[in-house]
Amino acid sequence: MDPLWEWLELLPLAQYVGESWWFPLLESIHVVAATFLVGAIAMLDLRLLGVAATQHRVSRIASEILPWTAAAAVVAVVTGVPLFTTRATHYAHNTAFQIKVLLLVLAAVNMLWFHLRTERGIAAWDNDGTPVTGARIAGLCSMVLWAGVLLSGRWIGHLI
Amino acid sequence: MLEQLASRIDGSALQAGAVYLLSQIRGFPPMIQTVHLLAIAAVMGSIVLIDLRILGLALRGQPTSDLARRLLPWTWWALPFLFVSGIIFVLARPQRYAVNPIFRLKFVLLALAVIVTLALHRVTARNPAYWEGPGGGRVLGRMVAAASLLLWVAVVLAGRWIAYADYLLPSEE
Repeated sequence: MDPLWEWLELLPLAQYVGESWWFPLLESIHVVAATFLVGAIAMLDLRLLGVAATQHRVSRIASEILPWTAAAAVVAVVTGVPLFTTRATHYAHNTAFQIKVLLLVLAAVNMLWFHLRTERGIAAWDNDGTPVTGARIAGLCSMVLWAGVLLSGRWIGHLI
Repeated sequence: MLEQLASRIDGSALQAGAVYLLSQIRGFPPMIQTVHLLAIAAVMGSIVLIDLRILGLALRGQPTSDLARRLLPWTWWALPFLFVSGIIFVLARPQRYAVNPIFRLKFVLLALAVIVTLALHRVTARNPAYWEGPGGGRVLGRMVAAASLLLWVAVVLAGRWIAYADYLLPSEE
């Protein structure tokens, strides 16, 4: 994969971002998008766990919050990719970065599993204060995984 | 004033304690910074979402007063976590922060954000129907919500820029 990372580093975009105030600007927007994503998705996770917003239907919370988490994810990717390209080889070999990518994949799998499997039977537990076990597990996994994404993401810069 | 305070912290037991924690416990800095980030996520998922609701952009299925009552405690509870997780770094290197202009800017913005949020909280507590009602509530409420939204996001941006101020704005020394 190293030739790909080296090719990315040599892109004009990577060089420009790496040598200008675009890096801190994109990074700070990345932080706003990431914390917003985690804060917003926690609302749905806590509903799935039966901890918060129990008087509202799960489907309502999900349909209202997911467009915002999706938008935040787009902003996080659009700001994160240029940051990655500036030192692609370094980041690709950075253990914290590798763990972050793994946790993001697991968070995506958790989300897909919930939407394709657990959510199919939502009519039966949509109004329940404490949803079915599968939904509670999805909520717990989501919270743990996203906290792990923030931790491993913050750790990247501490590994030289 | 900030610099005098910093020189009093310099060499104190408080500083020694903070330096010990940050340098001797493996992974302590990123872990504490993640506590800070998770508390910021709580701010984003509470007051920022309430602001978006008042602006009519998000969570329209839930009444603003209901949302504010449920979510504002998350904002207030995040603050002590932000304070403790942040001050450890300040105690360890007080002079670095005392002369950093972005650090000062962050706390001016934070003070304003807290004042606006307190106002929003009090209005909701006194008159839950305020945000839904006709007339003044709409326009004034939206202005307050927009100010709150911009201020909280600006605090987070400024927080991230503290580290870059060291490079972008080199001190006179």
